[in-house]
Amino acid sequence: MASERKASVTWRGSLMEGEGTVETVTSGLIDSLDVDWANRTGEQEGKTSPEELIAAAHAACFSMALSHALAEAGTEAERLETSATVSFVPGTGITNSVLSVRGTVPGIDADRFRQLAEEAKDGCPVSKAFSGNVELSVDAELVGAPQSV
Amino acid sequence: MTWDGTGARGTGSIDAGTGAFRGLEYSQPVRVGKGKEGKTSPEELLAAAHAGCFAMSLAGELRNEGTRLAVTAMVVMDEVEGRGHLIRESQVRIRARVPGVAKTAFDETVRTAHEGCSFSQLLGDADVKVTIDAELED
Repeated sequence: MASERKASVTWRGSLMEGEGTVETVTSGLIDSLDVDWANRTGEQEGKTSPEELIAAAHAACFSMALSHALAEAGTEAERLETSATVSFVPGTGITNSVLSVRGTVPGIDADRFRQLAEEAKDGCPVSKAFSGNVELSVDAELVGAPQSV
Repeated sequence: MTWDGTGARGTGSIDAGTGAFRGLEYSQPVRVGKGKEGKTSPEELLAAAHAGCFAMSLAGELRNEGTRLAVTAMVVMDEVEGRGHLIRESQVRIRARVPGVAKTAFDETVRTAHEGCSFSQLLGDADVKVTIDAELED
């Protein structure tokens, strides 16, 4: 069955002078994120941009795919810390997404972890939706279990 | 963002680099289920990104300070035989108030905005279908 997810934006005014507000309709979790052009291309001051939302989507998608692959391999992740950095070039578009993951995964070696990370980078649905012209890369590293406090 | 546990049973939390949002929760059952439990999903974030991208592109083409745009994107993910889960479609709905613009000019501007929206292009390059339903309102 298909999954449908909806989000809405209200925009007021022109591109350079105007501003918008993002809200999610399906989950209701995001309401009133401010978005504007200056923040998309220049300094970042607490407003989001389409590319930041894409980065969040990509990091989330990749983490789910990798956690699933690790569990299937019999080495369940205790914790994955993932970031995605999406680059936007005005006039060109979205050029690349750089994933970085730090994993706490008992019983796996670094080579196997990197291999599964590469597969998750290529296979997650968001990566596949980027398969046209976006350069994808992943930097995967194992870290020790967090110290209990 | 962080993820704890396996894909099917674990949960994640997402923070934005700009600080615009923090601690958004998401999980696999929410992603493939009905999705109305106060957790987000990658596809919902993509829908927000596409709506934002399209709204900015259209505002940029209209060049009209009186513009009011309401843009909604619905992203559809489905399982495809032999290829796993794929993002298949993004349905964009636009309701616009633009002082002094004629319908034919508006429709043409929507097409130009679609071509200029980086996320529309990205989806098109990956064979994800983008549909657009745009109307001018009084």
